[in-house]
Amino acid sequence: MAQTPTLLIEAEGKPSQVLVSVYLRGGADGLHLVPPVGDDDYHKLRPTLAMKEKDTLPLEGVFRLHNNLAPLHPFFEQKQLAIIHQAGTPENSRSHFEAEDYLHFGGASGGGWLGKFLHLTKQSNAGPLTAVSISEHISDSLHGTAAVAMRSLTEFALPKQTEVFQQQLGKLYQLTGGKLGQAGSETLAAVQRIQGLSVALQDEEARRKGQPKQARDEFVDGLGLIARLIQANLGLRAATIDLGGWDSHFGAAVLLNSLMPRLAKGLADFATALGKDFPRVTIVVMTEFGRRVGENASLGTDHGRGGVHWVMGGSVPGGKVFADWKGLGGSILEYPGDVPVVHDYRGTLGAVCRHLEPAVDLGKLFPSYEGGVLPIYA
Amino acid sequence: MKPSSESAPSSTECHARGQSGRRDFLRWTGTAVAGLSVSCDSRMRKAMLGPIGDAIDAVKLEPFASPAGKEIDLLSHAISRLTWGVTPGLYGYWRQQATSIEAAAEKFIAASVAVRDPKGLAEVARKQASRQEAIQEAVGELYDFNPRQLNFELTQAALVRAVHSPNQLYERMVAFWSDHFNIDSSKADCRWLKPYDDREVIRPHALGKFSDLLRASALSPAMLFYLDGRQNKRRKPEDKPNENYARELLELHTLGVHGGYTQQDVMEAARCLTGWTVKGKDNKLFSMGPKGLAGIGSVVFIKYNHDDGAKTVLGKTIAAGGGPKDLDALLEIVTQHPSTAQFIATKLCRHFIADEPPAAAIATTAAAFTKSSGDIPETLRALFATESFRTARGTKFKRPFHYLVSLYRALGVPTDGGMEIQRALRRMGHMPFDYPTPEGYADVGEDWMSTLLARWDFALRLGRGETTPATWKQDQFLTAAGNTTGMLQHLLGRKPTTDELTALQATPEADQLALALSLPGFQLY
Repeated sequence: MAQTPTLLIEAEGKPSQVLVSVYLRGGADGLHLVPPVGDDDYHKLRPTLAMKEKDTLPLEGVFRLHNNLAPLHPFFEQKQLAIIHQAGTPENSRSHFEAEDYLHFGGASGGGWLGKFLHLTKQSNAGPLTAVSISEHISDSLHGTAAVAMRSLTEFALPKQTEVFQQQLGKLYQLTGGKLGQAGSETLAAVQRIQGLSVALQDEEARRKGQPKQARDEFVDGLGLIARLIQANLGLRAATIDLGGWDSHFGAAVLLNSLMPRLAKGLADFATALGKDFPRVTIVVMTEFGRRVGENASLGTDHGRGGVHWVMGGSVPGGKVFADWKGLGGSILEYPGDVPVVHDYRGTLGAVCRHLEPAVDLGKLFPSYEGGVLPIYA
Repeated sequence: MKPSSESAPSSTECHARGQSGRRDFLRWTGTAVAGLSVSCDSRMRKAMLGPIGDAIDAVKLEPFASPAGKEIDLLSHAISRLTWGVTPGLYGYWRQQATSIEAAAEKFIAASVAVRDPKGLAEVARKQASRQEAIQEAVGELYDFNPRQLNFELTQAALVRAVHSPNQLYERMVAFWSDHFNIDSSKADCRWLKPYDDREVIRPHALGKFSDLLRASALSPAMLFYLDGRQNKRRKPEDKPNENYARELLELHTLGVHGGYTQQDVMEAARCLTGWTVKGKDNKLFSMGPKGLAGIGSVVFIKYNHDDGAKTVLGKTIAAGGGPKDLDALLEIVTQHPSTAQFIATKLCRHFIADEPPAAAIATTAAAFTKSSGDIPETLRALFATESFRTARGTKFKRPFHYLVSLYRALGVPTDGGMEIQRALRRMGHMPFDYPTPEGYADVGEDWMSTLLARWDFALRLGRGETTPATWKQDQFLTAAGNTTGMLQHLLGRKPTTDELTALQATPEADQLALALSLPGFQLY
């Protein structure tokens, strides 16, 4: 029953595809990030919050991109960013927790969607660092696979001053030979690669410490760490990172204006840092739900249904906004006034997962989902 | 901030997650050391040591003897295969029970297999997990708790029992069957129902009759959720039964994928099981039962959802009109099918002998399974008597759970099964009750060899005293083991090679224990 031996560390030149999941916790307002500026009802229902054309950049049809997300615009134009409007889950409690669970677990199924993707495609334990959450805790979406939570690389390497330990261990694993001996030797090689990386990152960290606090951003730095891990060819297949704070019940414009630049800068810097590795990276950005269309009395919006999801990457055929837009008229909206979910997030993830691993059984990945996949790669 | 699955839930989070909050007071307290590690008097200690187990008294370890052969001897081999790993004194205790090593090994094996008192075992297990109060609740009450707390406690209990239980073969078999009848406790109502499955399905039958275990599993509320049996109904001829459980019953629980059943058999088996359901949180499929949360988690047979026509499964006919008895008829047919004996024997031999189990050992084990009508201890007795079992020494690669538990046991470190060890398990992808698909965790070493780095890291931090409780003193352990050679004999089950000894001596003292725990030989059993 033994499977073909897996190489613990990938050879240079044969690097794997990496799926990066960015979760916008709190329910990001899709109508503010990618506003349907060309829709009259939008302006009627959001007299204060609605975006004006001059504060946005052109996308497709009625949709435009908020100026604060401008760093993402070139990716759309270069067809490396696909935007999915009216996106969400069937979970309609409008509860953060229920919707987030649904998003991470892929419905009433065992395992998180990303963990199960790795599991079903036999990548679960592909190397010493197959999946990582840039967080204190491993994301629920990685349930079902080996994964590490870290904020910085030093948490992953072996403790300091273990050179002799490693040297002696190396000798003994070499003497052992066979699969175990090989696994031991390869793991030690990985440790050394991580340590090299770790030193470089510590230098960066030290440099950053010299900068004013406002100039530093955990989200941007976290994506930077993921880029380093990808480039080190440690066998990384999946990474998750969260950007929280999107729950804009109150003073939405101010709140979102501080978050959008972080999101856009983080993703754009990430792509730049990846450079020639960008084509083997696919980023999915999702949120548990969108917001109510009508604004409330405190210049915010309440929990809604359909929001905006994104797929970005060096080989993502982007440049499109997926939407089945029929406006925001009363008969279109879902009670009590929300954008209906047209694009189940599992259709988006299914398209991405199948593109990365054509053999994946989507019926097993999302057992309770019967819709098709979004034609991103069609 | 939402709690991660790793963090212990707090009362406010219980509330925020929509749970009743009635049990809020039962929070995880983060106590460092479980009650079982308290020092006990020598009489009690002796009672717990014999006949097959041990008690770990971390506070005062007495000098203990370790195997001193050049190769792993039969007693050391039997201990490492039938338990979660040797403990200080366990080898010495059994070595004294007979004049020859071989005879001592026979006595140890016989005593291990003889444990089969389900009530007694349940009582020991309950006491061991006495701090995990939530998982001891009645099935309906489980729904009062935050599922993260239940999962945390259930994992804690599994770890505490694996490390501290005197009934070691029993705990090994509980883990074996938990894989065989895998349920991912993150799916739907399994989040509340898996503790019940562990307590009332797996544990009572882990060393009993396979047929009893299978029946309990078929009617386990968690299993009815996990494999969608609860949705399996046929009211009208055009209704299609849900085949999910029936397929896994044949493919994974009994005959095996090449066991000789057809798609038609799967469909017929599914028909036999129509009508069995469980009341869940959503209260769907239960229009006939009590309203609200009353009766939640209870399994019922709904007659009008059952297809009561005649069925033919694996060439045997089940007459029409059987109603709920169809389930028993079906299970009898599949249990008695020769492929089932072969399949279970193969898995047991892979677990206890080798990743590629030898055909002769499988045949002997399967024959014992058949002859004893699926009696698990009888089957194991035959397996442990095979030549293959006796000669395959130190060749299986420990899975991460096994590695960590064997490490705690070997050093006599008490554990409460808490965050530290659970985090390590998660990192290595081997959290109990957390495997997403029904086949259960892989039981071949190669699938786990990418976890070495996490093991070394754990060993280094433990060796440097970062993770051990204050009650455990490394120098006391080393003194009790005698010297460096004695420690290695204890950990490896044999004399160390010159290379091993040289490597250890070349390593700074602070990391010598970590090196010993990182050796290839300690990854094997």
